[in-house]
Parts: sequence; structure tokens; C-alpha cells
Amino acid sequence: MQNFQQNLAKLEAADTQVLGISMDSPFSNKAWAQQINVTFPLLSDWGGDVTKQYGLYNPKYKAARRVNYLIDKEGKVVEMQLDSDAIDPTKTVEACESRKLNR
Amino acid sequence: MKYLITTALVAGMLLPTLRAADKPAETAPPPAVKIGDIAPDFTLTDQNGNKVSLHDFKGKKNVALAFYIFAFTGG
Repeated sequence: MQNFQQNLAKLEAADTQVLGISMDSPFSNKAWAQQINVTFPLLSDWGGDVTKQYGLYNPKYKAARRVNYLIDKEGKVVEMQLDSDAIDPTKTVEACESRKLNR
Repeated sequence: MKYLITTALVAGMLLPTLRAADKPAETAPPPAVKIGDIAPDFTLTDQNGNKVSLHDFKGKKNVALAFYIFAFTGG
């Protein structure tokens, strides 16, 4: 999430809202957000309903897989990065910026 | 010194687990939501107790939705 925070200004300039999401409690997310200075919402999917609906539940860790989605203004998924490819948000930033330019 | 050794031990045990969690599990099925799909709507609580829904941003903003494994870990 620190990587997204570092790119937040670029993403916001490209009309993009960042939402983190995990199966942590809101309390864990609050403590973590304060520790690492994350200012965008960290959403609590406590129980994992959304994680399971997206097909990202990893039973081995009882947690979500690491996945980045870019969803356009119409609600359609236009980019997706999985697991270790999802750590670096550069592709998401570039996709947002090129979408803005092509508009 | 004892504290340092304990910290190193705990970190040593934790790191491989976290690295492993980032590897695509060979048996992991592909995500149910893929490129080209309409992202299923949701309403969840953020770290400040606010309800946030995906549909809040429809017609207004793109959404970078970043699923992470656990709070207090990297990435």
C-alpha cells in the first residue's frame, strides 16, 4: 500500500480513486494506515465475502491474494495484475495516465 | 542482544511465509473477476469507520482496487 501512497498524486491527477482491500479488521487497518501514512481508504472485507466473490481467497493463508484491478468509470475491469506482479503499481499508474490522455 | 536475536529469528521465520504468499499457488484458480468483466459492487467499512461502495465512483472516477494479503506487511 505504501507504493500506492507514493503514486497517489499521479493517480488522483488521472481521475483515479485508490481503494485498498483485505480481510483485516477496520481496527488493524486504522493502526496500519497511521503507521505507514496511508490516506486513501483501506477497506475491511472481514469474513471475506468480497474476496471470495472476486475469486481471490487463498485458503492456505485464509486471506486474499495480492491483486490490483483497474476499474473504469463505467465499472468495467480494464487492467489486472496478480500476485508478485501486483506489488509495483507502475502499470496501474501508466494505464490511468494513458486513459486520461486518450479521452 | 537477546532482543535482536529474537527479532532476527522471528523475521527469518516470517519472511519466507510472506514471500510464499506472493507466489501464485500452482493450484490457485484464476480470479473470478477478469479483464472485460463488470466489477461486482460492494459496500465495506474503511479504517475511519466510513462506508465505501464501488458504485460511489461510477461515472466519476476510475478505481484502482488493490487487494492485499495482510495489514502490516509490505506492498
